[in-house]
Amino acid sequence: MNRIRLNVNGEDREVEVDPRRLLVHAVREEVGLTGTHVGCLTGDCGACTVLVDDRSVKSCSVLAVSADGARLRTIEDLGTEDDLDPVQRAFLEEFAFQCGYCLPGMLLTVRELLDRDPDPGEEDIVQAVSGNLCRCTGYGPILRAVRSAVRATREADRP
Amino acid sequence: MTGEDTPRYTAPADLDGVVAALEGADEGTVLVGGGTMVVPAMTHGHVVPSALVDLGRAGLTGIREEDGATVVGAMTDYASLLAADTDRGPGHPLRLLARAAAGITGGPQIRNRGTLGGSASYANPASDVPGCLVALGARLRLASARGVREVPAQEFFLGAFRTARRPDEVLAELVLPHGDALAWGYVKFKLAESSWPVVTSAAAVLAGGGLRVALGAAADRPVALDVPAPHRGTADPAWRALVADGAARALADRGAAFVDDVLADAHYRAAVTPVIVARAVEGALRGADRQERGRA
Ligand SMILES: Cc1cc2nc3c(=O)[nH]c(=O)nc-3n(C[C@@H](O)[C@@H](O)[C@H](O)COP(=O)(O)OP(=O)(O)OC[C@H]3O[C@@H](n4cnc5c(N)ncnc54)[C@H](O)[C@@H]3O)c2cc1C
Ligand code: FES
Ligand code: FES
Repeated sequence: MNRIRLNVNGEDREVEVDPRRLLVHAVREEVGLTGTHVGCLTGDCGACTVLVDDRSVKSCSVLAVSADGARLRTIEDLGTEDDLDPVQRAFLEEFAFQCGYCLPGMLLTVRELLDRDPDPGEEDIVQAVSGNLCRCTGYGPILRAVRSAVRATREADRP
Repeated sequence: MTGEDTPRYTAPADLDGVVAALEGADEGTVLVGGGTMVVPAMTHGHVVPSALVDLGRAGLTGIREEDGATVVGAMTDYASLLAADTDRGPGHPLRLLARAAAGITGGPQIRNRGTLGGSASYANPASDVPGCLVALGARLRLASARGVREVPAQEFFLGAFRTARRPDEVLAELVLPHGDALAWGYVKFKLAESSWPVVTSAAAVLAGGGLRVALGAAADRPVALDVPAPHRGTADPAWRALVADGAARALADRGAAFVDDVLADAHYRAAVTPVIVARAVEGALRGADRQERGRA
């Protein structure tokens, strides 16, 4: 077993893991935050997306030990029921999810996009969600939601 | 996951540490680059490591210039490569790699994590990087306790998922010589957005007027060939026949052949190859043209 340190959503945590333990399982089971979903375990679906040192990764494709010392941001940190993140609000208003299984990954991916570039072009938007598979909603509403989040961010930035 | 077969895990802090960790290693010692291929392979039991050597802390990143070549650290990920691709001429080797990186599927998560060295070492025939390295005449710098050796890309890729890397070697750097390319074109031909490609082609317009072309995904390993310039355009049937012959010969020379798989049969791959090469060449010619006009 390896003892690793993670800063999860601003809180320091120490957990013990087998070196083969996937980051997604460590987050859900050792850390106890189950908002990060497990879909394919092959790197295809994006349901397990978290931010590691501000960069989105598919946490089923990262060993927990590799993240020792890293700063993690998971869906639990993205806003509260009374104070939604603009990305969450946009997905809600545009009806951009149904069952919601893909949603945590989708939201974090879009959060990373906007953190990196508050005014992304259409191609960047399509590219940003291309690693997140949604089996229910269809990408029409999802892309509308991302564009709406972009507009909201732009307006909020306006002096 | 039982305690007894838990692999030994190390994450060396530099290349020397990696080399030391690999001393005497056998096939059971598994290197972890970005992990995008090898970690799921462990999850599904396709890879069962006795030891894990994580390259994530060894600092094998970064891009630098070295006597007539650009040297790229094996742990450079696609996103960093794209970020570094600024203000370089259309014939610069990084331009080709950036073109390929821009078409990597799987979303920003894969671009943030997948590395050039991991793609080369994995040697999936359908991957983008191997064909590009062959087109560039790249050399793969392998380090072990026995020293450092350089293997030309064409000799590195031995077959599907097979390379010249020995179990105690780490791919440390990719050496990309500044050759005589004026501009690069790249085409990845696939039948669905997130599917693996049927054929990829990288093409360069060379200073002497000829063309260098590489084919990926067509066979179990990538190959390069020289092709004359299409004086009557890339639609000219005689030129396309030359490309088809050249491709067949280049494959045969390396003991390879067009492959059959779920995406396409060998006959289809052979038929589509001259078309895809033509598109890559058109891209390269446009790039060379733009540069010419920019200079005038
Ligand atoms: C959803 C998805 C979409 C993808 N789309 C594409 C695509 O469009 N095009 C494409 O080409 N690829 C694609 N890939 C494959 C992508 O994972 C690889 O291209 C990636 O670059 C592999 O790098 P890595 O660092 O993650 O490799 P790893 O998974 O870390 O390693 C792969 C193999 O190489 C070995 N290895 C890694 N680094 C080294 C080194 N420095 N020295 C020696 N051995 C090493 C490992 O032991 C392992 O055997 C996709 C993958 C996924 C999951
Ligand atoms: S569970 Fe990680 S990508 Fe599907
Ligand atoms: S809402 Fe069901 S998978 Fe996306």
